[in-house]
Amino acid sequence: MSLRLLPPNLVNQIAAGEVVERPAAVVKELVENALDAGAGRIEVAIRDGGRSLISVTDDGHGMSPDDLGLAIQRHATSKLPGDDLTHIGTLGFRGEALPSIGAVSRLTITSRPAGADSAWTISVEGGQVADPQPAAHPSGTRVEVRDLFYATPARLKFLKSERAEQGHVSDVLNRLAMAHPAVAFRLTGDRERALIDLPAETASLEGGDESLRLARLGRIMGREFRENALAINAVREALCLTGHIGVPTFNRGNAQHQYLFVNGRPVRDKLLFGAVRGAYQDFLARDRHPLVALFLDLPPEQVDVNVHPAKTEVRFRDAGLVRGLIVSALKHALAEAGHRASTTVSQGALGAFRSGTGGGYGNYQPPPPMPGHLAEASNAWQAPNAGYQPGFAETARPTAPAGASETGDADAANYPLGAARAQVHETYVVAQTEDGLVIVDQHAAHERLVYERMKAALANGGVATQMLLLPEVVELDEPAAARLAARAPELAELGLMIEPFGASAVIVRETPALLGETAVQSLLRDLADELAEMGEAFSLKEKLEEVCGTMACHGSIRAGRRLNVHEMDALLRQMEATPHSGQCNHGRPTYVELKLKDIERLFGRR
Amino acid sequence: MKLTIERAAILKSLAHVQSVVERRNAIPILSNVLIEADGGDMSLSATDMDIDIVDRTPADVQQEGAVTAPVHTLYDIVRKLPDGSQVELSLEGEGGQVELRSGRSNFSLQSLPKDDFPAIGSEDLSNEFTLPAGELRQLVDRTRFAISTEETRYYLNGIYLHAAEADGVKLLRAVATDGHRLARIEMPLPQGAENIPGVIVPRKAVNELRRLIDESSDDVKISLTENKIRFSFGSVILTSKLIDGTFPDYDRVIPTGNDKTLDVDSKVFRNAVDRVSTISTEKSRAIKLTMSEGSLSLAATSPDAGSASEDLEVGYTADGLEIGFNSRYLLDIANQIEGDSMQFVLADAASPTIIKDVADSAALYVLMPMRV
Repeated sequence: MSLRLLPPNLVNQIAAGEVVERPAAVVKELVENALDAGAGRIEVAIRDGGRSLISVTDDGHGMSPDDLGLAIQRHATSKLPGDDLTHIGTLGFRGEALPSIGAVSRLTITSRPAGADSAWTISVEGGQVADPQPAAHPSGTRVEVRDLFYATPARLKFLKSERAEQGHVSDVLNRLAMAHPAVAFRLTGDRERALIDLPAETASLEGGDESLRLARLGRIMGREFRENALAINAVREALCLTGHIGVPTFNRGNAQHQYLFVNGRPVRDKLLFGAVRGAYQDFLARDRHPLVALFLDLPPEQVDVNVHPAKTEVRFRDAGLVRGLIVSALKHALAEAGHRASTTVSQGALGAFRSGTGGGYGNYQPPPPMPGHLAEASNAWQAPNAGYQPGFAETARPTAPAGASETGDADAANYPLGAARAQVHETYVVAQTEDGLVIVDQHAAHERLVYERMKAALANGGVATQMLLLPEVVELDEPAAARLAARAPELAELGLMIEPFGASAVIVRETPALLGETAVQSLLRDLADELAEMGEAFSLKEKLEEVCGTMACHGSIRAGRRLNVHEMDALLRQMEATPHSGQCNHGRPTYVELKLKDIERLFGRR
Repeated sequence: MKLTIERAAILKSLAHVQSVVERRNAIPILSNVLIEADGGDMSLSATDMDIDIVDRTPADVQQEGAVTAPVHTLYDIVRKLPDGSQVELSLEGEGGQVELRSGRSNFSLQSLPKDDFPAIGSEDLSNEFTLPAGELRQLVDRTRFAISTEETRYYLNGIYLHAAEADGVKLLRAVATDGHRLARIEMPLPQGAENIPGVIVPRKAVNELRRLIDESSDDVKISLTENKIRFSFGSVILTSKLIDGTFPDYDRVIPTGNDKTLDVDSKVFRNAVDRVSTISTEKSRAIKLTMSEGSLSLAATSPDAGSASEDLEVGYTADGLEIGFNSRYLLDIANQIEGDSMQFVLADAASPTIIKDVADSAALYVLMPMRV
């Protein structure tokens, strides 16, 4: 068979295969166009999960009839004025989306440029373009995509259920909405049901951009996130990282709630996920994941977004710098948070309180508040901790030495965790603070203190290593061996001495003495895999910290041990002075705090 | 089947076989012991499919036959019977239950069909030689502590037994190593062992063997092929599969060029290490040895506990040297030294060190230092 050039229609269908894989991809392309057009309000409507209709309406600057004709041509765009692919300031730039969508659906674009007195419409059906017609439309653009994939039945068959496709659309829109808090978003599904309705956030007096974004994140990720978020603000060279991360005790079972944006573009990048895991690895069990929303801004020439047609992957010129920035910024924020634990914890505790309704109280009728009310009320109590000072370690250090509370009546006002009042069930320390009470799990708290001390000793004293009489040769594939060899100095700091051994093996000469007799082969394979996947070698550190953790567990005060008031006060003071003392090694809280006003509410005093 | 036997006799016999049986078994029959009565003997067999053990002991057999019974239960019962009592074991009817009667106690134990019990291999193994029990005990004791427990290097999970030749003398050698230290003991090659293959005896078999040696003062007959080894102690026969793997070429890691010798009183050294290591951190157990003309100083530090040091008078004439070791490894080796004096042969702080018992040239230990 001889070669031939494919007809343009087929070319567009093939291109559509890459760009438009499901209705959510259409929504993404169209909403990005709307954002690039400077829209302040974007409305998306879908029917049947996007199969029969996707419509995106914006109030952006619109297009003239001439532009409409060009817009549906391949490689036509308004977004690359300088013919320079290295300086991309807009979300789109490839000029592929509209013709690709037009090739596989019935596409109608209606637009009226700002200031013009008339609107025009153009339609494309399976790649066949009709001439522009006059139409009625307010200023802005409306794009309607009907019968998606009718021209490519194979793709149609691969669509998931309506509900699943609708979920993908919501997800895409949520991600874009996070990055653009000043734009209003609305998504309606079948029967005009509003699935997403986000008003444009307006800046409050004190906050500025950051409060704008936090408000939007709160609307999308939940109010709890807003209350348990730590602000990130770090700059290194031309890189700027902002955003919010959850405290470790506020965690989830999967990594779905980790949102990462590069120059306002939502991405899923292993490197970034790896960096987040690296920053949290000390605070969370392996199978728990933090909630984060990070926004990385860097000069366009330092990042290549043109890796994949859907632009969900990016490539950094200096990946190490980016990773370093994320890990250090997150660690710094977590350290500053000191022992702050999630408010969901104390809220959960409050929910468990029941007013005494048992017999023996005469005819007393408990007031009507239902659990539902209670929960609602408790929402109100947990108003954002605006006045909360992160980093107790930095607040004015008490002048009195720890344990000076001879009378047990220490000036509670001076200490964030208050003065110990009692120990209950030989397990929990109850302390009174200026405006509430704190309940501490003595074992979890002391375990964390011992653990932090050990880690500090490990970091200061270096890791003792056992040299191997029989050095172990670990066979790997060539890239894995090269990756490990490249990180040898870093591993050596943790006590694992390796050298390249031929092209596809490494030889292990020394192992950390803490690990005793360890399974070197599997450890190295794990490390090589992690380097490939996330660019970071977690296993070794995790193993060492696991040993420290076990030792800390054995070396700490157990539940059931009776403590006197001096011991309890000393424990509280140590917690205040130790970073990361708010959670145990598995992300559970070491203490919960109840505010006085919460207690008063429980008793109906407020 | 029906037999009567003295409690002490059956207790001893059960003690021999029961430890081979795992506490939890996926295959129920493996929890059972096979009891056979024939002629004037009761024979007990137990297996975990890797190690078989058979113990024969005289008994008053009233009716020949065989039966199986759960071994740990049986052992516990017999242990609790009064000293000096007679135990009667019988199988009532077909299959059913094993009856155990002693004095006024009666037990009915669930039995499994004897035909389900795996066949205990009794085939002849080609190479056969004998060792005095005392020498076999040395062989095991001097090496057992260094067996690796790390299962990915399965070929280190046992004692390597093989014939070797040094300076024209034929030797039987036992070697064990866990990759951090190595123990080697040798003795003149016994008759019949000239052609034995090098074999790795697994740790569990070594431990069973060690318990049996204690009760034996006679010669132990050893026979082996490339995949099985059998130890015969008169009435008890222990047969084990061997580890199918290649033991590393250990000769290469025994240094020959070490030039610094350190002679110490073994008891004084052991006690000093024990004292000083009280301070070293729980897991890494590091201890530092500093040598100078005529003296050795042991030191340990820990960020939590503080520090410790102790000076010893030693025979040392070479240049000063500072070297770290895992104190537990040092103690393990020092515990093997029975003579008054032990000798270290060192090169530098990053090379393997040889440790010897001055009074006993048969054993040699190699220890890799720690970087502290």
